[in-house]
Amino acid sequence: MTEIKIREITYLEAVREAMSQEMRQNEDVFILGEDIGVYGGAFGVTRGMIEEFGPERVRNTPISEAAIAGGAVGAALTGMRPILELQFSDFITIAMDQLVNQAAKTRYMFGGKGKVPMVVRTPAGSGTGAAAQHSQSLEAWMAHIPGLKVVQPSNAYDAKGLLKAAMDDDNPVIFYEHKLLYRTQCNVPEEQYSIPLGKADIKREGKDVTIVATAIMVHKTLEAATELEKEGIDVEIIDPRTIVPLDEEAIIESVKKTGRLIVVHEAVKRGGFGGEIASMIAESEAFDYLDSPIKRLGGLAVPIPYNPTLEKAVVPQVPDIIEAVKETVRFK
Amino acid sequence: MAKEIFMPKLSSTMETGTLLEWFKEEGDTVEIGEPLFEILTDKINIEVEAYDDGILLKRYFDTDDQVPVNHVIGYIGQANEQVPAESPGESGESNESNEQALQEETVAEEAERPLVAVSVISGEKPRATPAARRMAKTNQVELTAIAGSGPNGRVHVKDVNEYVNEDQAHSKITPLANKIAKHENVDITTISGSGLNGKIVKQDISAAIQEKSTKAPASSQKRRKIGGMRKVISDRMSQSAFTAPHVTLTSEIDTTKVKELRVQLLPIVEKQTGMRLSYTEVIIKAVGLVLSRFPAVNASFINDEIIYNDAVHIGLAVAVPDGLMVPVLKDVNQKGLADLTMEAKEIGKRAREQKLLPDQLKGSTFTISNLGMYAIDAFTPIINQPETAILGVGRMLEKPVVIKGEIEVRPMMTLSLSFDHRVIDGAPAAEFLTELKRVLENPFELLV
Amino acid sequence: MLSTMKLPSHITEKKLKSLYKEMWLIRYFDEKVDQFFAKGMIHGTTHLCVGQEASASGSIGVLQAKDKIISTHRGHGHCIAKEGDVNKMMAELFGRVTGYCKGKGGSMHIADVEKGNLGANGIVGGGIPLAVGAALTSKMKNQGYVVLCFFGDGASNEGSFHEALNLAAIWDLPVVFICENNQYGMSGPVKEMTRIENIAERASAYGIPGKVVDGNDMIEIMNTVHEAVEKAREGNGPALIEMKTYRWKGHSKSDAKKYRTREEETEWRKKDGIKRFKDLLIEEKILSEEEANKLQEEAKKEIEEAVKFAENSPEPPLESLLEDVYA
Repeated sequence: MTEIKIREITYLEAVREAMSQEMRQNEDVFILGEDIGVYGGAFGVTRGMIEEFGPERVRNTPISEAAIAGGAVGAALTGMRPILELQFSDFITIAMDQLVNQAAKTRYMFGGKGKVPMVVRTPAGSGTGAAAQHSQSLEAWMAHIPGLKVVQPSNAYDAKGLLKAAMDDDNPVIFYEHKLLYRTQCNVPEEQYSIPLGKADIKREGKDVTIVATAIMVHKTLEAATELEKEGIDVEIIDPRTIVPLDEEAIIESVKKTGRLIVVHEAVKRGGFGGEIASMIAESEAFDYLDSPIKRLGGLAVPIPYNPTLEKAVVPQVPDIIEAVKETVRFK
Repeated sequence: MAKEIFMPKLSSTMETGTLLEWFKEEGDTVEIGEPLFEILTDKINIEVEAYDDGILLKRYFDTDDQVPVNHVIGYIGQANEQVPAESPGESGESNESNEQALQEETVAEEAERPLVAVSVISGEKPRATPAARRMAKTNQVELTAIAGSGPNGRVHVKDVNEYVNEDQAHSKITPLANKIAKHENVDITTISGSGLNGKIVKQDISAAIQEKSTKAPASSQKRRKIGGMRKVISDRMSQSAFTAPHVTLTSEIDTTKVKELRVQLLPIVEKQTGMRLSYTEVIIKAVGLVLSRFPAVNASFINDEIIYNDAVHIGLAVAVPDGLMVPVLKDVNQKGLADLTMEAKEIGKRAREQKLLPDQLKGSTFTISNLGMYAIDAFTPIINQPETAILGVGRMLEKPVVIKGEIEVRPMMTLSLSFDHRVIDGAPAAEFLTELKRVLENPFELLV
Repeated sequence: MLSTMKLPSHITEKKLKSLYKEMWLIRYFDEKVDQFFAKGMIHGTTHLCVGQEASASGSIGVLQAKDKIISTHRGHGHCIAKEGDVNKMMAELFGRVTGYCKGKGGSMHIADVEKGNLGANGIVGGGIPLAVGAALTSKMKNQGYVVLCFFGDGASNEGSFHEALNLAAIWDLPVVFICENNQYGMSGPVKEMTRIENIAERASAYGIPGKVVDGNDMIEIMNTVHEAVEKAREGNGPALIEMKTYRWKGHSKSDAKKYRTREEETEWRKKDGIKRFKDLLIEEKILSEEEANKLQEEAKKEIEEAVKFAENSPEPPLESLLEDVYA
């Protein structure tokens, strides 16, 4: 029995540690992306990695999203296990053909021959004042594509374990890192561990209402829950952690218990993944246990504005969550 | 849009109708006004005509199915139109007054317990959360009975809980039914109510009592599930017998003068109407006359209220194959014997042919049951609710009677008057029968 | 003396003086922005073009009013050169309702459509195909304007660059592609990201002329761009011009500039385009030292005023949040 060493590290460090540990023991794993070399990546995730692994395995690329995404697919198809850092998740749009028409479909189209074990890591979300073209949350696009797995870790512990699972997975995995979470800290074991994709986490147990929240919204929901507790409202928070595969059972069980469901995500509500979760519940046996209409909280249907006040107003905030909960449990 | 075919409500008391026969198959073309199906209501068969042109798309019910009024029983529409696989229930096209009439009847049975009634707009489904629906189903309560605390009266689990947790006896059984049940040691938990919102009403208790007391004969070889008219009769008879305390008075009448009167009037009436005057019409006329002098006997007892009827409408029990019908002669005391003869023959014929109109079955204030064609002298007829009394007429038989110290042979007939002791007592009933005897023994008064 | 200088015929002394002042406007504007970011007074991010003023002022300086430009994420200079209003620009960076984008766009999305500035763009290479489309309109409607399309060395590795150049070439569109090669695509040194010495060489792949100019030499810039623009206007199709230049500041606000050396930065500072232009104007007796200083001072004041204007402008009302989006 070796003693488990646990330290408090940031989300950013947890992601870096997961990659570094894997690269130390698996030669096939390498990382490529724009400015991930000496610059350390736009958010500093790969800082120090080029010094340890060299420019062959930490490949600084030109600004060519289509080429580097397609390059990752080709490398994965031929025995490598690439990690692609896409500088902002908004730029996934430029790599769309390679991810959607190539990575997601190759194995199936080839009748099960070949595989595409790659991870696309990409910072997402608003809150940094980067405005319309650098602040989007497009995970629902990816979730819509059969053949892609979609991960949205909400804390450092989950980030490290989920990234390990993503790197071990033989399928393309889109790994969303919320920009505002990079500096958040929590206890993370030093050794490698894996959190299976498709396993939700109950971030808070409660009996009055189920809130399914993703990424940054997990934190906002936890904050709201603390406030609501003072008023005797007991919130259960489910963090799906991966939206593809989705742990439907955990959500269904929770809703059966509480009879109420709110889904919170930063992505635009219209066509957002909240609709999928709501529909899944409506179709499940949990329907018979619903005692309030399902609520979805999501971004307004506008591009992310630059002005800080407007930027906050465009996505759900703690008071919005509190209000939604009160509305939903009014008939307790 | 396919059009609903629904069970028509043909009288204010009609709650269900029995489907007897469809005249059309699914897929047949139907023209507006064409007879579409036949139903049996309280005591009548009636053909229902189509209200729409089109194809008969769907029939949800078949022969002997009992269907609540306004319930959708089928659809007429254009070929290939989609209709539900099962009847959607209450017709969306029902009107409010029917709905209210239905509710009033049962609401009147309610005690003073304040019930937060929800205003359910006819045809609008109650709003409730899925969980509330599930709970209501489990507890066998109707959502329409529950006042929802949510927006637009939406019912939540909390509301169902509160409703269920109220005194069960109060919320699911009328006070009267509860009283009878206690008195008769009936276990109400085993009874499913037939009243509004599944409430147990007195007739459910009566039925339960009857069920307890009837044991099917051990060697019974043939069994038949009763349906249609038989079911209606059985329900109504037991309801009357078990709710109204019956007392039967009998009295022998010397019909010598009635016979003479009839002989003299026969050709006159026949000339006028082409029909033969029978004793029945004479008795009807006499009863009508006497009833107008005894309003208490011409009363209806509805919801603990005695209603003294101005009009005298006399029901006439008519035997029909596998049953009994009571067509009604209206305003008897305003009609002469010729008219009565015509009408009585007419409704008798219609009854036997099962062609009575709903209106010919409604509104009787008193009933006459004549078993004179059999070897029956006296019997104890069951009151046709909500009337106060019924007159049983036995056979006419020549008997030795003592008149002024002399033994004479006279045509005698026994009248049996069953009355509802809740409404009147023995003395007035006896006075009524005595007066009737007097009128029949001096029948020329009828011609005045 | 203007007569001794080889310049496009429509460039007057007055124009040269105003270009000089404009270069200072650009520099002071971005220096001021840098300062505010350092103080945390402006949120979000920004990309400064300090050191690249000549590229913007020289290129846009030869255009006609009806001509259009497409800018980049490093676009403040282009906007000012296309007669942009520094008040509105500063207000935008402050996120105020009086800003170019009502406070909703920020640094990377400033546009002035009426003045022919079709906007900065946050997507590397995103604007290049747009320029092609704008030039297509000019050709189809016979409007006679030319589109000047700015982008950086990094963008020349995006698919959009190659696709757009090919399209503009086969259709002979009135667009001139200006690659501001400031040596780094964010942190990617151009030498590591392309195998060729000059990005302008890529023009040959699409059958159009390609030219390299000193991106800090106002005169060379004006002459080269003027020639390409007028050829394009006459229907001879596009050209690719590469400005060799340098950004003095980091890529964006949080850049430690680890990918380059202090020595290199010092070398490039010596090639400052503003200083070279000033020396030339004084040498040619177009400006006196005093006049030059006065113009510089005026520029500085205008930026101070712009800051005041921005600071005194209201925040956008919350009700404006859903405006300007169709669905």
